[in-house]
Amino acid sequence: MGGEVRRLAAGGRIDRDQALDFVFNGRALRGFAGDTLASALLANGVDVVGRSFKYGRPRGIVGHGPEEPNAIVEVGTGASRVPNLRATQVELYNGLEARSAGSSVFQRAAGAFGRLLPAGFYYKTFMSSPRAWMAWERVLRHAAGFGNAPDAADPDTYDRMNRHCDVLVIGGGPAGLSAALEAAGWGARVLLADEQSEFGGSLLAETRALGGESAAAWLAGVLAELDASGNVELLPRSMVSGYYDHNFLTIVERRSDHLGPVSAAATRERLHRVRAEQVVLATGAIERPLVFANNDLPGVMLASSVSTYVNRYAVAPGNKLLLFTTNDHGYRTALDWHRIGREVVAIVDVREDPAGAWVESAKASGIDVIGAHAIIEAVGHSRVSGAAIAPLQGNTLVGAPRRLACDLIACSGGWNPTLHLGSQTGVKPRWSESAIAFLPGDLGVGTLCAGAVAGTPALRGCLEQGALAGATAASRAGFGSGRTTRAAPEVDEPPEMPARSLFLVPHPKPVSRAPKQFVDFQLDVTAADIELAAREGYESVEHVKRYTALGFGTDQGKLGNVNGVAILAEALGKDMAEVGTTMYRPSYTPTTFGAIAGRDVGGFFDPERHTPMHGWHTAEGAEWEDVGRWKRPWYYPRPGETMQQAVNRECLAARDGLAIMDASTLGKIDIQGADAAEFLDRIYTTGFRKLGIGRCRYGLMLHEDGTIFDDGVTARLGEDRYLMHTTTGNAEVVFAWLERWHQTEWPELSVYFTSVTDHWATAALVGPKSRTVLAKVCTDIDLTGGAFPFMAVREGHVAGVPARVFRISFSGELSFEVNVPAQHGRAVWDALIDAGAEFDITPYGTETMHVLRAEKGFIIVGQDTDGSTTPADMGMDWAVRRNKPFGFLGDRSLDLSDHLREDRPQLVGLASYDAKTVLPEGGQLVDDPERQPPAPIAGHVTSSYYSARLSRPIALGMVKRGAGRMGETVYCPLADGRVVKASIVDSVFYDPKGERQNV
Amino acid sequence: MSEPPGVVCRECPDRVFANVRGDSGDLRLRRAVAQVAGLDLPREPGTWNRADRSRAYWLGPDEWLLVVEGDDGLALEERLRDALDGPFSVADVTGAQVQLELSGPDAGKVLQKSSPYDFHPRKFPPGRCAQTVFSKTTALVAAREDGAFDVVFRRSYADYLMRWLADAAAEYGYRLE
Amino acid sequence: MFRIHCPHCQEVRSEEEFSYAGEAHIPRPADPSSLSDAEWGEYLHTRTNPRGPHREMWVHTAGCRRYFNVLRDTVSYEILAVYRVGEMPPERGEA
Repeated sequence: MGGEVRRLAAGGRIDRDQALDFVFNGRALRGFAGDTLASALLANGVDVVGRSFKYGRPRGIVGHGPEEPNAIVEVGTGASRVPNLRATQVELYNGLEARSAGSSVFQRAAGAFGRLLPAGFYYKTFMSSPRAWMAWERVLRHAAGFGNAPDAADPDTYDRMNRHCDVLVIGGGPAGLSAALEAAGWGARVLLADEQSEFGGSLLAETRALGGESAAAWLAGVLAELDASGNVELLPRSMVSGYYDHNFLTIVERRSDHLGPVSAAATRERLHRVRAEQVVLATGAIERPLVFANNDLPGVMLASSVSTYVNRYAVAPGNKLLLFTTNDHGYRTALDWHRIGREVVAIVDVREDPAGAWVESAKASGIDVIGAHAIIEAVGHSRVSGAAIAPLQGNTLVGAPRRLACDLIACSGGWNPTLHLGSQTGVKPRWSESAIAFLPGDLGVGTLCAGAVAGTPALRGCLEQGALAGATAASRAGFGSGRTTRAAPEVDEPPEMPARSLFLVPHPKPVSRAPKQFVDFQLDVTAADIELAAREGYESVEHVKRYTALGFGTDQGKLGNVNGVAILAEALGKDMAEVGTTMYRPSYTPTTFGAIAGRDVGGFFDPERHTPMHGWHTAEGAEWEDVGRWKRPWYYPRPGETMQQAVNRECLAARDGLAIMDASTLGKIDIQGADAAEFLDRIYTTGFRKLGIGRCRYGLMLHEDGTIFDDGVTARLGEDRYLMHTTTGNAEVVFAWLERWHQTEWPELSVYFTSVTDHWATAALVGPKSRTVLAKVCTDIDLTGGAFPFMAVREGHVAGVPARVFRISFSGELSFEVNVPAQHGRAVWDALIDAGAEFDITPYGTETMHVLRAEKGFIIVGQDTDGSTTPADMGMDWAVRRNKPFGFLGDRSLDLSDHLREDRPQLVGLASYDAKTVLPEGGQLVDDPERQPPAPIAGHVTSSYYSARLSRPIALGMVKRGAGRMGETVYCPLADGRVVKASIVDSVFYDPKGERQNV
Repeated sequence: MSEPPGVVCRECPDRVFANVRGDSGDLRLRRAVAQVAGLDLPREPGTWNRADRSRAYWLGPDEWLLVVEGDDGLALEERLRDALDGPFSVADVTGAQVQLELSGPDAGKVLQKSSPYDFHPRKFPPGRCAQTVFSKTTALVAAREDGAFDVVFRRSYADYLMRWLADAAAEYGYRLE
Repeated sequence: MFRIHCPHCQEVRSEEEFSYAGEAHIPRPADPSSLSDAEWGEYLHTRTNPRGPHREMWVHTAGCRRYFNVLRDTVSYEILAVYRVGEMPPERGEA
């Protein structure tokens, strides 16, 4: 191999002192710092970079930026392998390893296979015969996509950063730079993002002078000024991926890919979440390819890409150039080619009679300009070796083809403004006949377009329009008058004569029989495919997209879309505006999952909330249960114990001796105000007006539709002060619920709420010995039953710390819930553990809590209830006071006819006949076990445990008309075919009179 | 490492916190707070006031967080309750809060990684405060005269947020004091 | 991602700080017991769901925790007005 056979001896922005070694498809190659993988491949004479998706045809590099459809590569190895990159956007680094994507056996063998996959293949094959999908799926899944996802965890780190600015300028080309300069000059906070490694856009390949200095010098000056301005942030290597509502945009910044395969020290990619007052879209335009036979041969490139490789990278991707153009702009490429001393075979210009300054300039350089002609077919095997051209009148060939020898065809079919981001906001692009392009639609007062994206062709125009957009954006954001403050630099740029449109180059054979005329290179969509779709009755461009796969590739049709729309319009006899474009969606180019996930991985994926006693539980070896975001001890296994053994032990300790539970996670809301009682009366089913100070009451909270949404005990702490307990998972919901009703319906009530969930650490001391033990560390509260009855609260000190002690019980046992400010929680917990040592104090977790409460028939809202359960369904009419003056939320709904239905599910206890089998929670209950499914459902199991105290399983369930079916039998069919027979019993299994807690 | 860290995080123990609610236009409330904490409750949304040992942060149109150094939470609540006469609410929330001070040249970048709020000095000069989303929970952030930030968040999130801050600040150099 | 001006914090804040709280201006009937099932059901369930300007309630969950009203276009998502609970949306022209 001859090394960099196509590298020019001088010029370009590459650093020739920094040679970089890299490997492509197993071949060791060399490039320079400043190269992209694409420019280095071209420099090394690599023509074929991949095989086409459907037909297996050789494909070469076409473009030089995000539009590149063919050079899709996989970079890196192992865990840090990155699939689906465009070689034109991969910065070269020393040691880079890359492979062509999609080089599966299927694709290499696809040449013969492709004709089996006509347009609408998926639709035709699988709509008519869904079973065919079964047979094809494995093959197609294997073949689909561009590259392989790594199978090991990504070693890189990613993160996110929020940004705010007055003016976000997207695109650092001539228009974007001018916009940033003006906006910054007026004092606006400016963010300038560009997807390339260097700012400058088209200026990086510009050969003309700006204001008397070279484009490079002008660019360096502008960047230095922006850098020094203090209110501009420059984000290179930053692709604006999404444009969402209210000027919220996402930018993916590549921070380390250019440094090497894994950069553990730095963040690989950063997702910027930008909120911009104003957005200037200066995203430029992408040259439109021309659709002619065999136009996918390696060596057919965009004219602007040829110029970019020559001027920016000092690479000549061929020797003999044939330029195929519809406009004056393309002439630059021929002139660039001529300037480096290579042969320009000819300029094939489709216009009737090309004239004007650019044509003269080409002729003056000795270039042959062939007007009123088109290239109808590229010739060659794995690389262009020639082209057939033919005279053209309008859209008709008017003479015999002749052949020209060349090894490079540069195409300019006009320009497609890069309007994808504007389109993402939901604003449809509009067709402009004069610009021969879709232009951004009316994007509203928060967005401005400047430069080529707005259809502005000339450099000077882009500079001027950018400056005006920058000044206008700054002014709209509150900075300056909207006038530009500096004149755009003069550019020696001859005027351009009108272009003409040509979206499908005719061929002597009809489209269906001509050699393939590619519209979408990445998904191998041809002009014939689109015409076929039209013939088969497809009219909407969105349907044609799905039928043919036009624009469905990872490039979202950046090259092919407009030609495809035009061919469709022609076939349908409609105009372009009528057909329109397909919707472009985020992301502009493919985004990594890493960038989206950011730091929200591992321990940061979901925050954990810890109680003050968390460290103690950890040291005791607790197993954890996640309740909302809280980590709660589930059970505390001793060495060798199963979960059931541990729970049995914990349950018996609570029933017979002494146990302790961390109840800090319960929601707690401090309620103060003269109308606090009135407010609580309206919120809860129970009444609070007459509750004595120092007493507690259980209440149900209902939605307005009468269904239960929370429950808990509320204590009256003073004349106008209450403390509400909510369930752990509902604390924030209930807090917002209280505020909502106060703020929106009853602002006249004098009441305030403060969340104190985190302020209090709570230790529930449970069991017959709890009073004795608490007395050891609490001497200023009379703990005797007479002085401190069940459902009361007292204030005093526990272990020397100010405490509130509640005599409430979720276990049915004598119980004291000790509340102390959280900063003292651990110390008081430790003191209680010490005090309880003589009675073998046993910590217990949520599982034991569940068993204890189920033995007592206490419900858990959200487990035993669902979104349709009323108090009556739960047999809890005792907790509902219907005669309150104002009523309460949900009150009216309790009388709705549906809630009075007799066949509603009702809470019952369930006892399995064999006294051994624990019913599965969620298990469905039926009356007739013999009946084949679907059988009528009688109900379901909501809670089910083994009770150590009762030495048998217990369960709660919801059964239709259950309250009236005591003693009857229901059946629970299990997945393994067994059927568990259970009898309907009372939901209170233990101490039905509640004597144990009330001592 | 001899280079000074970009972000320094200092825990601020020895602070007590009281949540105060009431009508901001009620002079009785303002006088009571002035008497007990020696400062005026800020009425301008998103601002905070400070006196010798106390600070008062605006949380909402009828809600403030009062922070006093070297006091006792329950005693502060009692003193406020004694001084208050009217439809007000005061609750000791010392146990619920953790306060940090974030300083260093890159402290603002750590805030940017953590919150969608705009902490740029133009929008968030000293004297401003905001309750906002912070990582996956919420926090109160206040801008100080010395360019540092006070960050107050819920105690149950402390383990998570301390890890989050250390991770977010790692690239700038991080020191926990 | 919306950017919403909180009328209490008097600042534009990001959508993450807020929660949607349903359609606005649906007052609770003064005497629910006097309503038929159908009338009560109307209050519970029937919402306007317009195409165009929609009066809706939001709450500044991560900020001041105040509920307030937003007039938002359900087609363009543009926020046309923000106003406090108890207030009515500003009169709008045909614009």
